[in-house]
Amino acid sequence: MKTWNAEAVLQALASTVNRDTTASNYVFQDDSYLTPRTSREFKLYYLSQESGRNAAKYFINTFPRYFQKDFAEPHIPCLMPETLELQIDEVSERALTECIQLRKVKAAVDMFDQLTQMGSPVSLDLTNDLLDLICLYGDQEPAQDVPPEQRTNDMGEKHDEIKIKKGRPRRASDFLKIVWGENNNAERIFNMMPEPNSCSYGALIRGMVKHGSIPKAFIMYNDMLNNQLTADVHTFNALISAAPYLKEKYSEKWDLIIDLLKQMAYQKVKPNVLTFNAVLKALQRCGALGRVQAFPVLNEMKALGIAPSLASYDHFLGIFYKAASQAQEHKEIIQEVLNEVSGKSFAAHDPDDVNFFMNTMKICLDTKDMEQAYKLQSLLDIGENWKLLGDSFHQSVYYGRFFNLLCMMEHVDVVLKWYRELSPSLFYPNSQRMRDLFQALDMDNRLDIIPQIWKDIKRMGHDNNTELVEEMLSLMAREKHKPEVQQSFAECALDVKTLYKQTDYGRVQLNWSASSLSSITLILLAAGRIQQAWEILMLFKVTNRVPSEYLLKQFLDCIQMNNNSEQAVALVQISASFCLPLTSHLIKRVQQEFELNEEQKNTLSQLESSLFE
Amino acid sequence: MAASTFCFALSPLSKIKCNVNIIYTLNKRTAFSGGLSKIKGVEKQVAALPERSSQGPRRPRREAGEPRTERMSVDQDWTAVYPTAKSFKQNAVPLPVRMGYPVKRGVPPEKKGNLELIKIPNFLHLTPVSIKKHCEALKPFCTEWPNALDSDAKCEEHFPIQVQSKDFVSAGPSLRNPKARIITLTVKLSSLNLDDHARKKMIKLSGERYNKESDTLTITTESCPLRQQNYDYALYLLTVLYHESWKMEEWEKEKTRADMEEYVWEDSPSQKNILETLLRMHAVEKCEEDGGVQKELLGRPEVEEYKDSVTKLKNEGENECNIQQYKDAVKKLLNI
Repeated sequence: MKTWNAEAVLQALASTVNRDTTASNYVFQDDSYLTPRTSREFKLYYLSQESGRNAAKYFINTFPRYFQKDFAEPHIPCLMPETLELQIDEVSERALTECIQLRKVKAAVDMFDQLTQMGSPVSLDLTNDLLDLICLYGDQEPAQDVPPEQRTNDMGEKHDEIKIKKGRPRRASDFLKIVWGENNNAERIFNMMPEPNSCSYGALIRGMVKHGSIPKAFIMYNDMLNNQLTADVHTFNALISAAPYLKEKYSEKWDLIIDLLKQMAYQKVKPNVLTFNAVLKALQRCGALGRVQAFPVLNEMKALGIAPSLASYDHFLGIFYKAASQAQEHKEIIQEVLNEVSGKSFAAHDPDDVNFFMNTMKICLDTKDMEQAYKLQSLLDIGENWKLLGDSFHQSVYYGRFFNLLCMMEHVDVVLKWYRELSPSLFYPNSQRMRDLFQALDMDNRLDIIPQIWKDIKRMGHDNNTELVEEMLSLMAREKHKPEVQQSFAECALDVKTLYKQTDYGRVQLNWSASSLSSITLILLAAGRIQQAWEILMLFKVTNRVPSEYLLKQFLDCIQMNNNSEQAVALVQISASFCLPLTSHLIKRVQQEFELNEEQKNTLSQLESSLFE
Repeated sequence: MAASTFCFALSPLSKIKCNVNIIYTLNKRTAFSGGLSKIKGVEKQVAALPERSSQGPRRPRREAGEPRTERMSVDQDWTAVYPTAKSFKQNAVPLPVRMGYPVKRGVPPEKKGNLELIKIPNFLHLTPVSIKKHCEALKPFCTEWPNALDSDAKCEEHFPIQVQSKDFVSAGPSLRNPKARIITLTVKLSSLNLDDHARKKMIKLSGERYNKESDTLTITTESCPLRQQNYDYALYLLTVLYHESWKMEEWEKEKTRADMEEYVWEDSPSQKNILETLLRMHAVEKCEEDGGVQKELLGRPEVEEYKDSVTKLKNEGENECNIQQYKDAVKKLLNI
């Protein structure tokens, strides 16, 4: 009798459903007013939902007495209030355990001190737990529990010890980086311990490595060896990841890592995937030596039966493709890597797994290799690999690079197909990507789609980008197209014109420039809308821009088709007001090609004579 | 709402004739700015209304984007748009449906912002295509239908008892639905092993639960809190009914004519009447050998026919055929 797990039916039905290409992320309300249209809005709405959830959780946990009634049947434990406050008042080991569980660092340390002062020794396991807690948080409270104004002064001092790179604006992560302070509680408690075991050493070493105090970590490790204690695999992983920061020369770094690995083997500690990922990451900082050793490391990993995670491949590729210039030398490596990963479903083993897709797509972009990019994209469709694409930032970078590559390399039909599939459901193209798209359209002569793309540009909020708008206008104005296309261009141009107008609220979105004015005029002329083109021509004087000769010649040609001598004379007057050298040529043309009455002839001859003054 | 407060504040503004058009004089010279002079520049009224925030021009009110139906291609995968039961989303359904009471001298309101369309249940997630897909996906969970049961009649024959139960799924804090405990058990009495008396007794015992036209007994149980308990109770009731209807109680022998379910001709007033009539017709010797004469009289074919027609009339009600038969029988009997 075959049996299935409880969700097998649901999973089977879920496998029939594909992605909806026009919908935005499932967390948002599916309404034309409420879905985010730009990446900024996406982030804002997403974070606001999260913050709402956090606010609700805060209220439930702060006032648990109002939320005791249980409506859910069957019971859902995660919706009930959590106890976040300490319940046990007395000074005892139980209270210490509770502090550690609730992750209250300061309270736990105080409790420990009180217990030792009272004379009742704390057990080894409990002390190790306390050390783990302190080292994990670097002797600070876990960040989200303590609002910034409540952080005490001694915490603030530690934050000042951060070196800030010159020229880079301060980021939030700089302020939150915790540094391992001198004589902090972990070391103090450790020194008080009569017989620290390997767990205690391990906690301290890992804490020191995490918070940047690397020489101390290695000193502690040597202490440990002197006491004949064996480190566990996590401690070794921490040491290996710290090794490149200890030494300067490539060979010394590598020797240190090899030394650590040998000790691991000697002490019969089994390496895991994180060990090898740490080695590969360290090799990225070993220059040419890294390139030599990369393959042997990977082979060793497979020989030991450890399946590489995406982070391993990411570090591996990072060893060979450090800069865009190096990309051409090692083309076959990325092919090999992608051949190896294709068809496999990966799970998250290493926090660096999420960088794989983003970085590999960058390599594809640098090597201009479309085939590998498609392989990479198809890897996303397999199993649960989409979960490893990372947060919205990683996702947008990945898809941005993919789209960039597509616009460069593929035929415009393929580009448009991917464009419709990827945006706006998966990523919001920025203005640079839209310019790439225009170039792709230009290359394959599909400029007639521009008005539709303009609608998308407006929706995504790129219509305040002057360069993008002007490029689009000049693309439309450049050549003659079929009449329907020309009319659609004219509509689009008029739509663009409204952006230059002052809105009700006093702000002007875009400022007129010579190129945008002439482009719009040319487009309107090509569509035969002379009156509107005339209005734009008037704007030249107002905005102090000079029309080009080409524009005026085109204008005269159009006027000639309608045989309107009034306008022709007016045109010549405009040209004269700008003191263009073209004026004399225009006068001659008008005199020859148009039927003029006396007044007009006089005006023209006056202008002609004024020219030669 | 920001919009409404804006309107309230605007009425005193209109009385103040501020020089709104200062900033627009530049535009007035250009040909295209025809109607700009009527625009009420809110930020210019800052000096007049101190309570208006002077933080610069107010951001323009967000425009609703175009619905995503515009971007949907004609051959898109609809099962991806509505994979599960969801309320009607006018943004996502590319059909120009209208619903509701018509606007005065007009048509029903459109789908945009239409609550009527959202209230009703829709089956957009169960198009034939999606049902096919679901069936394909569920095939691995199913076993083969037994080949021996290839017609309805055979199913009836081997599985005469049918039990129905309902499961409810809804979005809410609780999974439980009290209506899910109800069990309905149906069985055809013809498939049960009953003789005449047992059948009649069973029908009497079941009362309203028996449907005469389809010969089905329906037992609905909802008195127990759990479905399993209700199911056991229903089966128990069926078993008890069956056994009880086979038993013959003492007092059943006292069944009178009024308790009979159908009309029986023997010992009925009609029989007595016929006998009297026939006796009078044939002017036979009275009361001698009543038994024998009666039997002989009753044995006659016309009397048999009459008996049949009367029984039919009483049992099946009056219709053309029966009345015709009665008429013929009476005619024959009375030699008309």
